[in-house]
Amino acid sequence: MAQMHEEALETKYEGNVFTRLLAYVKPHVKTMVLALILVLTVTGINLVKPVLIGTAIDKYIEGYDKPYAIVAPEQAQVQLGEGLFLSTDIPAGEDAELVRLIYVNEQYFLVWDLKKADLEPLSEWEKAGSPGFRVNALSSTNPQHWEFELNGRRLDASPMDKDQLAQLRAADRSGIIRIALLYAGLLIAGFFLQLSQTWLLQKTGQSIIFTIREEIFAHVHSLPLRFFDTNPVGRIVTRVTNDVESLNQMYTQVLVRLISNTVLIIGYAVVMISINPRLALISFLFLPVVFAFTLTFRILIRKIYRIVRTKISALNTFLSENISGMKLIQLFAREEKKAEEFGERTTDLYNTQMKEMAIFGMFRPGLSFIANIAYALIIYRSGVSVLEGALTLGTLYIFTNYIRSFFEPIQELAEQFSTLQNAMASAEKIFTILDEKNTIPEPEEPVRMPEFKGRIEFRNVWFAYENEDWVLKDVSFVIRPGERVAFVGATGAGKSSILNLIGRYYDIQKGEILIDGVNIRDLSLADLRRAIGQVQQDVFVFTGDIKSNIRLLSEEITDEEIRAAAHASNADHFIAKLPAGYDEPVTERGSTLSAGERQLLSFARTLAFDPKILVLDEATANIDTETEQLIQAALETLMQGRTSIVVAHRLSTIQHADEILVMHKGRIRERGSHQELLALNGIYKKLYELQAQ
Amino acid sequence: MKTEKKNKGVLLPHLIRYSPVYLIGLAALFMVDYVQLFIPQYMGEVTDGLASHTIDGPGIWSLCFKIILCGAMHLLGRFVWRYCIFGTARKVERKMRNGLFAHLETLSQRYYHEHKTGDLMSYFTNDLEAVRMAVGPAIVTAFDATVMTVMVLVRMITHISLTLTLYALIPMAVLAAFGYFYGHTIENRYRKMQKAFADLQDYVQESVSGERVVKAFVQEEKQKAAFREVNDNKRRASLHVVKLSAFFLPMLQFLVGVTYVIAILIGGWFTMTGEMTLGKFVTFNAYIGSLVWPMLALGDAITTISQGIAGVRRIHEVMDEKPEIRDAAQPDDVTALTGELRLEDVSFTYAPNLPEKLTHVSVEVKPGETLAVMGRTGSGKTTLVNLLCRLYDVEQGRITYDGHDIKQIPLHVLRENIAYVPQDNFLFSQTLAENISFGRLDASQEQIEAAAMAADIHDNIMDFPERYGTMVGERGVTLSGGQKQRTSIARALLKDSPILILDDSLSAVDTDTEERILQNLKEYRKGKTNIIIAHRVSTVQNADHILVLDEGVPAEYGTHEELMARDGIFASMARKQQLEQQLLAAE
Repeated sequence: MAQMHEEALETKYEGNVFTRLLAYVKPHVKTMVLALILVLTVTGINLVKPVLIGTAIDKYIEGYDKPYAIVAPEQAQVQLGEGLFLSTDIPAGEDAELVRLIYVNEQYFLVWDLKKADLEPLSEWEKAGSPGFRVNALSSTNPQHWEFELNGRRLDASPMDKDQLAQLRAADRSGIIRIALLYAGLLIAGFFLQLSQTWLLQKTGQSIIFTIREEIFAHVHSLPLRFFDTNPVGRIVTRVTNDVESLNQMYTQVLVRLISNTVLIIGYAVVMISINPRLALISFLFLPVVFAFTLTFRILIRKIYRIVRTKISALNTFLSENISGMKLIQLFAREEKKAEEFGERTTDLYNTQMKEMAIFGMFRPGLSFIANIAYALIIYRSGVSVLEGALTLGTLYIFTNYIRSFFEPIQELAEQFSTLQNAMASAEKIFTILDEKNTIPEPEEPVRMPEFKGRIEFRNVWFAYENEDWVLKDVSFVIRPGERVAFVGATGAGKSSILNLIGRYYDIQKGEILIDGVNIRDLSLADLRRAIGQVQQDVFVFTGDIKSNIRLLSEEITDEEIRAAAHASNADHFIAKLPAGYDEPVTERGSTLSAGERQLLSFARTLAFDPKILVLDEATANIDTETEQLIQAALETLMQGRTSIVVAHRLSTIQHADEILVMHKGRIRERGSHQELLALNGIYKKLYELQAQ
Repeated sequence: MKTEKKNKGVLLPHLIRYSPVYLIGLAALFMVDYVQLFIPQYMGEVTDGLASHTIDGPGIWSLCFKIILCGAMHLLGRFVWRYCIFGTARKVERKMRNGLFAHLETLSQRYYHEHKTGDLMSYFTNDLEAVRMAVGPAIVTAFDATVMTVMVLVRMITHISLTLTLYALIPMAVLAAFGYFYGHTIENRYRKMQKAFADLQDYVQESVSGERVVKAFVQEEKQKAAFREVNDNKRRASLHVVKLSAFFLPMLQFLVGVTYVIAILIGGWFTMTGEMTLGKFVTFNAYIGSLVWPMLALGDAITTISQGIAGVRRIHEVMDEKPEIRDAAQPDDVTALTGELRLEDVSFTYAPNLPEKLTHVSVEVKPGETLAVMGRTGSGKTTLVNLLCRLYDVEQGRITYDGHDIKQIPLHVLRENIAYVPQDNFLFSQTLAENISFGRLDASQEQIEAAAMAADIHDNIMDFPERYGTMVGERGVTLSGGQKQRTSIARALLKDSPILILDDSLSAVDTDTEERILQNLKEYRKGKTNIIIAHRVSTVQNADHILVLDEGVPAEYGTHEELMARDGIFASMARKQQLEQQLLAAE
């Protein structure tokens, strides 16, 4: 239930996902078409392979039934024994003296004294199962001499040994070698074609997903903070990484295979019909059966797979929850009950997985059972046809081979459809993010400011993060260039929101915010934010080293500038103590920097970028006295010559401000210097006393 | 050798227990492989019969019927082995999973401090999965591939032709060697690809987490450029894998094809010269197909099995972990506590190299009394509670209940007699009723409601759509901090133990609610001992004793009046909080 809800929340995208996915293929259309042609060629090759073997069987292996003419030595193609010269070129006329091989009782015999008129009846006699074939008792020269009667005529047959057969069938042998060479040639061609096809597709697929990734990443960063308030980081990461990854298969395999498998099925069908329509029709009867079977099981498997996934994730949730709450379980002495509960869940999961296994256990074996039935039926039907003389053994071979591979493309198609479904689901989520509107649009024609002086004005500003829950109510104030202003007030009074609004991280609902007299909505975001140096309470540390955390990705900031900034902000004290100094590796998690050091680092970061306006949210974290002094001194440097707006917690910061604005419940309640405000005996005084306690 | 022996303890007993079923599965697997050999053979017999004209329609039919029969046995056998072997693997997995969880329940809090939940989870997910894959699919594959290869080869040699088989084995051997090499290399490259993917994930994760900095320093374009590099790394790593796999499949087909070429050339020639029948030629061609898979599968199976062994080893590490807090060898005969407790000169540190968290604390609480403990964050209040519940053992000094040393009281008696409201207000993803009755499973609806009323959460609960049946957490309502706290208090109240510990449990409720709850507590807990840890002076003002801790040292001790008169830490906290009250009231 919850999962469905989640899914519904994540995919708001409507519209033709598939067309939009195809749009990414456009730049690669030529490659894709080429790949498709290659795939089709490979498909063709695969169709031809069994035909080659079938031909080898019919024409050469089973091709013993060609007559030979007995000829003069100079015309001979084959010499058998001492004086028998044979040729496959049969002279014209009815009287030519012929011999022919027959195959009886798994043995080859050479039949003598044949005339052309005998050939037809001889084949008939063979098909009838060679009746009356017996050892010639009268022969004295060769005890193995056999005889039989054909059309009232007695014919002699001598058994052939290996060598004799080898000589006789030298022509067939070269035929077979030709076929083998052809087969090998196809193999080599197939190898290269398939290799280049896979490579082309994968390369294209990878470059498409590279592009999509870049697009989402860029888009996400263009979105306002509000987007990040409502979308957990993990979800965004999944979109950029896993969801895009699942598109890869679609581009590299599904698109082309959908076409090639369809072609393959049609190809099989056409070849089969052209060889033998009746057998082809029998084979086609199985198509709907296999299709229905595959489809049914796909649906069943999908369904049960989903249930299993849900149960596994529920079990894991239970586990991680109970491991986290282990203290409570132990304190309430509920170990047994929880173990029991866990056992119930694992049993439940086990039962579902067994069900899944049963379905799986039916699917593949079931398919191969159907395939075996089809195989048997085709063998029977074509066997009978061979008996009737309507089919050759080679064709039987081709058909049985085809029927074995005929069902593969159908199963593959079913698989590809489910890959396609998954890809669509991911694509929908991706497009939902890509279609996310930027609620803080850049002005069409931004006002260019050659330089900011640093005058800030709030005019009757009303602001709410959501609906009408006003965080700021009718706030107005002016800060002149170079002035220092401190905002004080209890938590939730709206101080931090003011800082967010100056850099236009959120847009206000009513009123105006002006910098140097220009509405910030008319400035380009980059210009605006470059002018403002923002120091946050929580300092985010990027994976890298100290240096890269000061200059961030702005390589134009030189090492000297970094050192100067670190020096001015007093950060060089702790940096000097690090084993690798400025090159000391740091990470966000598992960072060894203390809260105070992080503060100093962020001061250095801000100084390195040299902003005109300083916006600072003082950290409230516990900081040791020594660092605290460094911070206070650094603050002084930081604010020097800059318009500074500080959400202040330190008494010293407050006292040194040109003006103190006291916020209370979204409004500015008191303003003035430290002494003036104390004299007022209002909120400020109470706050001050609290601080002093 | 020693670990070998230990490993047997986790997996083998289960395997032995289910071995009959497992063996049936292997027998079925064997049958499947055996039956499979006959289908090509029957096909060969049909061909031979047709070639030598010795077969008629019914003859073909009976062979075809045999093929169908083989197919049916094949179907049945495959189902049986799957069910028996994979089923056993699942059963073993379940047993191990339950055993692991039950064992984790016995381990002490110290263990949980040292091991992250995520790490512990990976035993249940990755390691168990590895074991199951080894016991199930990998064994099947190894067995199947071996049996199949041997049987097919034997049939090829005895039934068809030794010479032809030897020739055909040449490309097959190349294939096996190639497959082995490929398996190793691809795994390596695959790992690199996964690493590149993980880097990509990390990068996006960090970049999005640091969004504020990115925006504040106008780093969007630069982030994009840096992302391009990570993204390209992933692309290149993927293509590196593809380079190999794109080569492998065609190569496989090529080698199999070469085997067919050999079959045509040599087998065809043998057939022409009468050394072999056409049927055998056809059968041989069909056998080639069934040799391909085993050649490739064996390497995979070996890898999976070695991963399974590593999994067993890791699980064993957990199972070998001894619980630190256990019942004494000969515990005192205690079945219930009265609520009298005493700390005698208790000092405590979490680890020898860490500073002391509590220093020489002595307190005495009589049944029915309320002790309040105050102090700044980190002053040792929670540590005191941890010791009272025996989540850690006291090393110096002594804690006694009714005169019994805490270590001599059976653990379940101790914990059943203490009701505890934790600081983090942990609730399970169950219904509210289930959560509240966690300490007393047989509680009636009236009792649950009474406890909820005393904790001032009843009205909130009645506002939820499912009332007491409402699920807590993601699948139901998200409770506010205050609601969680009050539910957690109701849970402890319902347990109705002689001792109740509130660990800073009223911090998230407003002062009016706090007052109501404290008032209700008086009624509900009449004659029973309460230990209240608090930040707010208002919470503790009616306690019989107030202990103020300062960095683990008992700084002040007495009643509210006494401490106010003393004008020390407590009095200063009281004044400060009063100011805050006034400030909040200002409008």
